[in-house]
Amino acid sequence: MLDETQDAESDRESAGDGDSPATGATDSTTPTPANSTATTKSASEDFDEAALSVQGLSKTFGSGEDAVTAVDDISFSVAPGEVIGLLGPNGAGKTTTIKSILGLILPDEGEVNVRGIDVYDRPRQAYEHVDAMLEGARNDYWRLTVRENLRYFAAVRGQDPDALADRHDELLDALDLAEKADTAVRDLSRGMKQKVSLASVLAGSVSVAFLDEPTLGLDVESSLTLRRELVRLAEERGLTLVISSHDMEVVEDVCDRVVIMSEGRIVADDTVENLLAGFETQGYRITARNLDEAALADLHERFDLSAVDRTGGRTRFEVAADTAAFYRLTDALERHGVELDGVDTVQPDLAEAFVEMTAAGGGRVAEAGPELQGGESR
Amino acid sequence: MTTATRQRRARKYYTLLKAVVYRDLLVWVRYPVNAALGLFMGVFFFGLMFYGGTLVAGQAISDTIEGLIVGYFLWTLSIGAYSGITNDVRSEASWGTLERHYTTPFGFGPVILAKGLAIVFRTFLTSSVVLALMLLMTGTSLDLNFLTVVPVASLAIASALGLGLAMGGLGVLYKRIGNVVNLLQFAFIGLISAPVFDLWWAKFLPLAQGSAMLQEAMTEGVRLWEFEPAALAILVGTAALYLGVGYAVFGLTTRRARKLGVLGDY
Repeated sequence: MLDETQDAESDRESAGDGDSPATGATDSTTPTPANSTATTKSASEDFDEAALSVQGLSKTFGSGEDAVTAVDDISFSVAPGEVIGLLGPNGAGKTTTIKSILGLILPDEGEVNVRGIDVYDRPRQAYEHVDAMLEGARNDYWRLTVRENLRYFAAVRGQDPDALADRHDELLDALDLAEKADTAVRDLSRGMKQKVSLASVLAGSVSVAFLDEPTLGLDVESSLTLRRELVRLAEERGLTLVISSHDMEVVEDVCDRVVIMSEGRIVADDTVENLLAGFETQGYRITARNLDEAALADLHERFDLSAVDRTGGRTRFEVAADTAAFYRLTDALERHGVELDGVDTVQPDLAEAFVEMTAAGGGRVAEAGPELQGGESR
Repeated sequence: MTTATRQRRARKYYTLLKAVVYRDLLVWVRYPVNAALGLFMGVFFFGLMFYGGTLVAGQAISDTIEGLIVGYFLWTLSIGAYSGITNDVRSEASWGTLERHYTTPFGFGPVILAKGLAIVFRTFLTSSVVLALMLLMTGTSLDLNFLTVVPVASLAIASALGLGLAMGGLGVLYKRIGNVVNLLQFAFIGLISAPVFDLWWAKFLPLAQGSAMLQEAMTEGVRLWEFEPAALAILVGTAALYLGVGYAVFGLTTRRARKLGVLGDY
């Protein structure tokens, strides 16, 4: 029989240990907007009541010239019932972050607490609250039925599957899996397998769940069902979700907050609304008549034009401009005798914001100012 | 720790063990061709040895048939335990379920040990079928005292399970070590037939002491409580040693795999 002291196994790696020079690789002088004082302070303030808090997490693979810093001194916290999206291009460090949080990868530095329990010092207690869907449809036993998977993954969390039967039925109903409850997972479509993975993660009554690409491979309807269910679970059960996804619609629909990573660092940490606000009124889509080549060349020279489309007598183009620049543009158009057919504000979506923020290691965020660097931890 | 806490914890471990054993059996029967072929091949190879040996060596085989059956029974048990746990760890990695077992409130070690027990249980079932068919095929009878055979055989194959855990851990770390894993299976033949009465140190090898005691139990009818205490102590000691070392190697290799970020890779 294991006792409490045995449970308290310490997994933390010492700094600069072995083949990983990660500590040295973290350059404290490098500007890291999202690790700004504001962010760290905010995370610290919420440390005690957070469902999940991450502080100063770093991980470098390899050593010497081959060293790759996958996660570089990141900090954030997630409130109970909050749904956050972890975004970033391939290689940004999302998966390493999630696996490091879970202890599946040993970080070089950093502290992770789940419901106030240190994951590296007391992993077993912390794991009582956490499960993760890391391999999508590969997360289950394909030779077992849907229900058998749910029962098994509840049991390996030490929970009596018979006592959870009603909850499992409810989950199966909510995810449109009830009819397939006694079907072997291998006989299901990829989308259904994905939903079974999610169901099995939620089968064990966890309060924090990590979902890596939860909608990958799902058709539109299944994706919508899953999104609705995630929102419901967060709202009704207070389930805290960390979702890593490339699907911006999912993130916009489901997430309260977005953490954007690039090159191992957090380049933005804020609500979707605030992130988009930073990009609003930055651009206009203009439709004009009588815009000749000379006038167009002049505009090109003086303004940041893009997406120029000349069809018939009409010219459409987009221009990135602040308010003052926009007025200069309209003056210029008037001088060239151009008639304006329409002016629309280009509404940024999360995908555009994401691309801009992750370009060149998040330089756009630094320009945008502190509102995009967020640090708001609810 | 209060009694209630202990009971609650014991219930949780029972739930874990029951679920792991049930899943192991379910997965086994749901690969029916593999399961049937495993049983068939077990009996087929014994048939080859028995009938081939009878043709070549005649009476010599008949005289030693009991020892051959016991040795073959223990070999199927040890191969089942050893390759069962090694393959299970590798399969879990390829299925993408290994990491989920890491993040359970029990910890990785207890879950893997539960898997080992499940594999030993299943191996006993299949090897018992093979044993029954061997006895039928040869018209031989053995002393099958349950209270003696099961503990002695279990302790004997605990060392094989330890080796399997170590190889499973190395498989998690280095991935493609199938050739080494397979080669080690043949070493078990030598360990099972090790001359423990002639070489004092041989009884400290994996499987060797258990094999000698199982021979005595099944062919001469020696009961568990009739063995020398020293013999029992060596049996228990080697079982604990190799299982402990295998468990430690598994722990070290999976820790190393976590450091390198390759725990769930395949």
